[in-house]
Amino acid sequence: MRAKNNYLAATFITPTMLVLAVLAFVPTIYAINISLQDRELSGSDANYVGLSNFIQLFSDRRFLNAAFVSLKWELVTVSATMIIAVLLAIMMFEALSPRLRNALSLVFLMPVLLPRVSAAYVWKFAFHPLFGLATYPYKALTGQPLDLLSNPNTALATVALVDAWQWALFFAVIIVKLLETLPPQPFEAAKLDHARTWEIYAYVAIPMLKAPLISLTFVKMIESLRAFDLIYVMTRGGPGITTETLDMYAFSQGFIESGKISYASSMAVLMMIVTTVAFTILWKRVRT
Amino acid sequence: MNRVRPAIWIARVILGLAAAMAIVPVLWTFLNAFKNRVDIVTPAPVFIFTPTLDNFIYVLGRESVLQGLINSVIVSGASVLIGALFGLPTAYAVARHPSRLTGEIQFFVLSLRFLPPVAVAIPLMVIWLDAGLYDTQLSLITTYSLLTISTTVWLGIPAFQRVPKEVEEAATVDGYGPYAVFFKVALPIASRSLIGALAFSFVLVWNEFLIALMLTTSDAKTLPIVASELTQLGRDVPWGILNASVILLSLPPLLFIGVLSGFLNSIVKKTNG
Repeated sequence: MRAKNNYLAATFITPTMLVLAVLAFVPTIYAINISLQDRELSGSDANYVGLSNFIQLFSDRRFLNAAFVSLKWELVTVSATMIIAVLLAIMMFEALSPRLRNALSLVFLMPVLLPRVSAAYVWKFAFHPLFGLATYPYKALTGQPLDLLSNPNTALATVALVDAWQWALFFAVIIVKLLETLPPQPFEAAKLDHARTWEIYAYVAIPMLKAPLISLTFVKMIESLRAFDLIYVMTRGGPGITTETLDMYAFSQGFIESGKISYASSMAVLMMIVTTVAFTILWKRVRT
Repeated sequence: MNRVRPAIWIARVILGLAAAMAIVPVLWTFLNAFKNRVDIVTPAPVFIFTPTLDNFIYVLGRESVLQGLINSVIVSGASVLIGALFGLPTAYAVARHPSRLTGEIQFFVLSLRFLPPVAVAIPLMVIWLDAGLYDTQLSLITTYSLLTISTTVWLGIPAFQRVPKEVEEAATVDGYGPYAVFFKVALPIASRSLIGALAFSFVLVWNEFLIALMLTTSDAKTLPIVASELTQLGRDVPWGILNASVILLSLPPLLFIGVLSGFLNSIVKKTNG
């Protein structure tokens, strides 16, 4: 019986793992291989140039800028998402009946289901300086158009707002459902001790949800790496290079501006190493 | 009690504003899709206008949009199917036969998501070019299978864990072999959650942009790429057409909102109770 079951496990798991390994490792090895060459989009002949692409990266100011923008993006979107999601979830749990909560949950799920491209356009219209709905009040009051996406100081924050719009509302739904699964006794005990509402959440509810909240933060950190769609549609990395993240820069190096595939690939390999190492360490830490 | 009341009303107002923020921009895009250009390009927002279907007729009449729609349906459908075919049995085996390797498998499947899409797309472009399969549905389906298989495994494991062990043991006593238990017992019982998992992987693939942008140029372009190109029709932005194509692109994922909400409920209940 036991042997038969192990046989099933092996036949169910092995082929899938092999397929996944091929699909994941072939491109990875290829990426490393290309990054050591001087291949360009136009020509097919290429020579191995060792690590020179990587060395070049560190004196490329645009690359360093992109790394900094990516880091800012990661910090801003992850913290904004988690803070807004937790606050909204607590408000939903405190102020709404279960039926209203469920109805609002459906509304809050909508933004995250939209394709990122759609979300980007929807907000690009809303932020349009002349015809936008979101910028209209400012225009009506001051008579000046408000162009948030072409202002170097506000462009990244504006795109990050769209990201938080999709993810914070989604996470608020998950967190409110998590709050609903908590046993009521600790809440009642805290109320008997005259704890204020915020104290109940800060010292009782949130600590009880520590594990799932950390997992959610982790998921958001991974998903924040996928900023490309929003930025590509909303700003194309502009104005200047103020919203140019690493994937945007790699894309424009490889495909738009110069077709330097090997150089773009070396950037991608570097990103891959950093994210894999960082997330593996984080994950192992969180899980133990 | 008296002190709490105003706080609750403030919370309700904030939640109402958040709900408006979730809906209004999308609703506005929806309205604009039915407007003539003169009603969109106005100094103040126009709420009352004569609706027109011209934008949708134009969008649906374009060959590139129709081709993109067909490509998106075929590519998403096929890769979700492959994801189910490889992913579901694995998820079941991992859920039912925990071993030393279980944690490693779960981590490996999750870690595939750490790969930045650019890092995958650049080498794949070279690979598919060399193989003569660049800009084909086949190359996109193969590439997306990595995404759908890993997502199905990851979300399928908790779904199978929720199937009561006793039911499966009873089936074994009745003479079902291990494969029959999977196909005739576990799969039907878990089917509701599994449909949620598959819907999730469909939405991921349908919405995918960067890889499709890099791996297609004309024949295999998916709908998000076609939609993004409509903005580049020159200086005179065709707002109505753009709004209509955004609505068209967003409809399929939104159809799954009920399924995904139910899936979320079952997953959360599992992890915390």
